[in-house]
Amino acid sequence: MRRVRKLALGLSLAVGSAAAGDLAYVTCQNGDALFVHDLSSGATVREWSVPGKPAGIALTKGSAYTVSPDSKTLRRFATNTGDVLAMTELDGGPIGVALDATRQRLFVSDWYNARIWILAADTLALQGELTVGAAPAGLAVSDDGNFIAAAERDEDQVAVFDAETLELLHTVPVGIRPFGLRFAPDGRLFVGNVGSNDLSVIDPGDSKVIATVPVGERPYGIAFANERAFVTNQYENTLSVVDLKTLVVIDTIDTGDYPEGIDTSSDGRQIIVANWFDNSLTIVDAESHSVLKTLETCDGPRAFGEFVLGGEP
Amino acid sequence: MKRRSLLLTGLAIGLIPALALAHGPTRQKVTLTTEVAADPAEVWEVVGNFQDMSWHPAVFSSTGENGNDIDATRVLTLGGADGPTISEILYKYSPDNMSYSYRITDVKVEVLPVTNYSSHLTVKPRDGGGAVIEWRGAFYRGYPNNDPPPELNDDAAIAAVTGVYQAGLDALVEKLGAPGS
Repeated sequence: MRRVRKLALGLSLAVGSAAAGDLAYVTCQNGDALFVHDLSSGATVREWSVPGKPAGIALTKGSAYTVSPDSKTLRRFATNTGDVLAMTELDGGPIGVALDATRQRLFVSDWYNARIWILAADTLALQGELTVGAAPAGLAVSDDGNFIAAAERDEDQVAVFDAETLELLHTVPVGIRPFGLRFAPDGRLFVGNVGSNDLSVIDPGDSKVIATVPVGERPYGIAFANERAFVTNQYENTLSVVDLKTLVVIDTIDTGDYPEGIDTSSDGRQIIVANWFDNSLTIVDAESHSVLKTLETCDGPRAFGEFVLGGEP
Repeated sequence: MKRRSLLLTGLAIGLIPALALAHGPTRQKVTLTTEVAADPAEVWEVVGNFQDMSWHPAVFSSTGENGNDIDATRVLTLGGADGPTISEILYKYSPDNMSYSYRITDVKVEVLPVTNYSSHLTVKPRDGGGAVIEWRGAFYRGYPNNDPPPELNDDAAIAAVTGVYQAGLDALVEKLGAPGS
């Protein structure tokens, strides 16, 4: 707490610490690990071994899900003990993961086989598959629980499914090579196109792109706070900040090298970025855009998914 | 069964140039540093021109366009006049920080078994005099799908890039002197 304040002073008067109890669960692909960081104190509170080069992450109260593409392994960890509660092998190229908490279904994309696995959130038992286009990567479930979206990287399009019936609603052409995507609090879907260096903004109830927003080089992940979208630009070592009303870039913030996974603190006041090359997290004030602090983490943090969980684990 | 999988492997390798945008599951990174006696400005004189990579022993010649501007390009010819080539593009250049970043736009995996390769070269002052040269790379292995053949797996990619960096840095120590020597 004291450390936060000390570092933050002079950068911004409006700085507070992250919401009490927020923890970041950072998958480190090169280090075969997951580090848990207390965002208030900056301390590394747990270090788990996660074999198989983990990248994808999804969280819910009590459980953290990791996807290791090298060993094709999906794991469910108990967030309080780090015990592996369930584990399964997914034969293909598992990469992105998203949880439908309402229906207790977990979705994992198969990069190599144009499909999405559907699994029981508790046991990880396979329940079925969705057929999608080539190289599905990022997955997201809308906040209202109505939609599931998948970025089909090699098709330059996004698939939107009805989360209840699992019917394909729309296939939406976007920019070049969409990879990460996330739903904004207002329900719109934001897609990062790593090949065309822009975001496609989609109304999930429609099959059209509302807007295309040019951002930095290799936009990878997107998070929302303070009526703004924050986008990690992998090749530029920056965040682009997009005003959600005007859909214009209003600021650019320096990060570490290869910023990738990005998420929001539970109070919506901070943005947390995983820097893959630097083995660090950059924590940014969502209002002032100042960098509040930088935390060391494990080797090759990807944190591909929602990786910050508020409250007690 | 075995025969079939071998056949498929052969086929897939043939397809790699067309799949240059695809990549394996895990991005790799390599960072090598070396220390030299020359001061940073002298080192930058040697390595700071994107159009001149004659300091690297593997590079036979370099042709390019647009100097050190962003999006400048170069084609490195390796070994000899009819050696293999690597095409690269500059995407960051900072003489103030003595650093630049570039990407490979075209290389055969038989030449360098990587895809989606980007690289950063930085010259910094060394404590006690001289300079530190840091060379970093980020890349995927040469084989974009599951179950890569050994010559195109993650280890092969790391070994190849490490070899290139080591040879270049060793040549710079040779040219610019080891600190304290």
